[in-house]
Amino acid sequence: MSHKEDLKREATGVKKSCCFFCHQNCGVLAYVKEGRVLAIEGDPNHPTSQGGLCARGNIALQHLNHPARINAPLKRVGERGAGKWERIPWDQAIDEIASKLTALKEEFGPETVATAGGTLRTDDWARRRFMNLFGSPNGFHNAHLCWIPTFMIETAIYGWCPFEIDLPNSRCLVLWGHNPGASGMPEMRGIIDLKQNGLKVIVVDPRFTETASKADLWLPLRPGSDAALALAWLNVIIWEGLYDQTFIENCCIGFDGLAQHVKQYTPEWAVPLTWLDPELIRKGARMYANNKPGNIQWGASVDQSGKAAGAGIHARALLRAVTGNLDAPGSDLLSGPSPDFVTDEEMEANEWLPEEQKAKQIGSDRYRLTTWPGYGRIAEITKEVWGKAPTAEWMCEAHPPSVFRAILTGKPYPINALITLATNPINSYGNSRFVIEALRKVLFSVTQEYWMTPSAMLADYVLPAAGALERPIITSTYGCSDTMIASQRAIPPMFERRTNYEFWRDLGCRMGQEDMWPWENLEEAYYYRIYPLGYDVSSYDDFVERYRFHFPEREYYKYGRIGFATPSRRVELVSSVLQELGYPGMPTYVGPAENEIDNPELAQQYPLVLTAGSGFMPFHHSEHFQIKELRYLKHEPYADINPLTAKELGISMGDWVWIETKRGRIKQRANLTQAVHPKVVVTQRGWWYPERTAAEPELGGCLESNTNVLTDVSDEACDPIGGSWANRGLLCRVYKVDGSESGRERAV
Amino acid sequence: MTRYAMIMDTRRCIGCHSCTVACKVNNELPVDMIYNPVYTEGPNGVFPNLHMTFYPLICMHCENPPCVGCCPTGASQQSDDGIVWVDSRKCIGCKACIQACPYRARQSNRKTGTVQKCDFCKDRVREGLEPFCVETCHQRARFFGDLADPKDAALALLNCTHSVQLLPELNTNPQVYYIISAGDEG
Repeated sequence: MSHKEDLKREATGVKKSCCFFCHQNCGVLAYVKEGRVLAIEGDPNHPTSQGGLCARGNIALQHLNHPARINAPLKRVGERGAGKWERIPWDQAIDEIASKLTALKEEFGPETVATAGGTLRTDDWARRRFMNLFGSPNGFHNAHLCWIPTFMIETAIYGWCPFEIDLPNSRCLVLWGHNPGASGMPEMRGIIDLKQNGLKVIVVDPRFTETASKADLWLPLRPGSDAALALAWLNVIIWEGLYDQTFIENCCIGFDGLAQHVKQYTPEWAVPLTWLDPELIRKGARMYANNKPGNIQWGASVDQSGKAAGAGIHARALLRAVTGNLDAPGSDLLSGPSPDFVTDEEMEANEWLPEEQKAKQIGSDRYRLTTWPGYGRIAEITKEVWGKAPTAEWMCEAHPPSVFRAILTGKPYPINALITLATNPINSYGNSRFVIEALRKVLFSVTQEYWMTPSAMLADYVLPAAGALERPIITSTYGCSDTMIASQRAIPPMFERRTNYEFWRDLGCRMGQEDMWPWENLEEAYYYRIYPLGYDVSSYDDFVERYRFHFPEREYYKYGRIGFATPSRRVELVSSVLQELGYPGMPTYVGPAENEIDNPELAQQYPLVLTAGSGFMPFHHSEHFQIKELRYLKHEPYADINPLTAKELGISMGDWVWIETKRGRIKQRANLTQAVHPKVVVTQRGWWYPERTAAEPELGGCLESNTNVLTDVSDEACDPIGGSWANRGLLCRVYKVDGSESGRERAV
Repeated sequence: MTRYAMIMDTRRCIGCHSCTVACKVNNELPVDMIYNPVYTEGPNGVFPNLHMTFYPLICMHCENPPCVGCCPTGASQQSDDGIVWVDSRKCIGCKACIQACPYRARQSNRKTGTVQKCDFCKDRVREGLEPFCVETCHQRARFFGDLADPKDAALALLNCTHSVQLLPELNTNPQVYYIISAGDEG
């Protein structure tokens, strides 16, 4: 018998855990004995993953037992970044952090403390709860780059974000800047199943992706020109009469204004902006509008296009409205928040944050939709209609580049403490050189981490974090879906690792918040959350073991009963919420932060168009470069370049090349491929080198191949509506690394 | 009689390498050894008229395996159910089988000196389990079955689709079949 089967037989229990290396939280069965996980496998009874595990999911044990994991609290004893640490007890760490935060709060006010979390590696509601009780509005993620602007704009227009797609009943799926073939395995399986039954699949992506290779139609637009394409689709659908007249008459307001507004945005108008053939633009629009019901699945790339993001998201959102593809069978569904279980938002204690503190949220003066002004208004409306609000964590956050700027400049006020959890801001936030300066400068810095990342190396305290197998997890689309999947802890955290929940609770209790943390551990808190569902269970683990998930019966056309959660209770084709916040009520074309039409001089210096940030297997964000079972698959970074361009530049397959924007340059190897337009370059994201020296000045080679060195976070490059900074559609140049430059780029 | 075979559905495979990692981790292979790489064919054509297909590679468990007859010690062998495997206790590391295999499915273990290859997870499949690479595949692009069993789902799939074998001209009769879309021939 194989070794794994022997281990499974040796186990004394099987736990229903999950993976957390991306957002899908695929089901994992963990075979355990005496506090150890002996083996894992995909859970065949899990409702979404159905037994599948991707490359990352398969390395759960390598992640759990990796020799480089941080297993005890560390306190810096040398210069910051020197890598000299003293191991201390948790109690001492919590005491010292609590007293430092208290002192900073007294001197500068609670808003001087900022926190950042990684993507779904963290117990986010607990962080928000601590921050609200402490009095600081300055928590953040990479939220402004990932779904949150989309969620908020769509909620402003039609009362919730229709992220739930009713694919089995659909006839046409638009994957707009979304490549589930490399990022969402269960989703991709569903798409392929349905495609074999006739589902039309349209992929909008500058790169010929895994997903594009399976599509019926591929629209390789210029990176960052999504707003132009979406506006041209609106033009085609409205002026060719392909819209849903009944839905528009019964459910929408502002159609005539929108029709007149988009008259100017013809496919021919879009040609120089999108580089697409006008007939291809028409073909896509007609395919979507004529194959009803249809879906437009969310993709992060539009959220990442900087100043053009808001207009692109807004125009894309209106496509669903004019075609009536909202909350009908087979279309994009407005699930609303769960009326049945306690949502993340209800755990956040947002009511405890005083109004004057909300007003101090960094970035809320400029990026008003995704901060307290817009969130507060939307929460008010959704509470009236749905009875609950979206999660504030994610949907209502300080603007990250503005926080880093406040650390560096003291404006609008000094940020003196930064607590980060399972995130490596140098590699994951825009303009890495700027982030690294902020991390070096901030007065007090704490991180709870799995690894000694380049960013962790610059902290004063590094605390050990519990991983996916060591904590219970509730999956409910960032707390915004009416469905939930519950996973349990396979084993108690190994060594001195702890969940973020324990960190925030201990810190809170040490700072006078005892009454607000009644749940001793996450299982108690999650039992409180699922208790109202009314299942006959005695604990959270009992729920996981016997039920595992809660999917309420699907109700279509909910708007017929409660209306849309907008001020008019209709779909607002001219958005009054956006207008209230001082933004255009209809999307008006905005070009990418850097482009050859608006910046011809810059385009002479930087003649190629860069798109940065798309996901690729087997890594996720800036993770897993130290897991050798994955790294052997892709051990060096590659940038996609068209062979025609490469030939002109004297670049051969595999050559190290510099990719340079106005912000700086990085090295990746050239991957010569027809998958991109001759003027487009696609870099891989996240890269750093855990095998190199972690301490200053090398910092794990964190700037050498890191695509975020190239991205732009200046206020002018950011979307004024949702705060997105510019990752997509930037101008760049590419040239070969010559022999004398083959040395490593230092972080200095 | 049993005749084990694997079917790769290239209409479904997206080249995610889940199978590669699941095999490596669960079979506890050395870091530099891969039994089942996924080969990307393309993108072929000229932008924007492109085509791309992913081919998961693996030992073909040939009906007529050239790697068996060339083995001087009998370590490289074929079982009655068709599985081609190496008995590491008998392998002297001469690498004749590596030379003989036209599919490059065999590798030498640097530590032990012996030759290793995919054995269709024989210990699992003989207990009714699936090979690791099949179990982990989110896309359901890999199927394992017994082609001698008229009720087998894999046989049914093979009978109602268009499939090819790799290097059929060598008369090895590989027992790994690739379902391909119209137009992928050749």
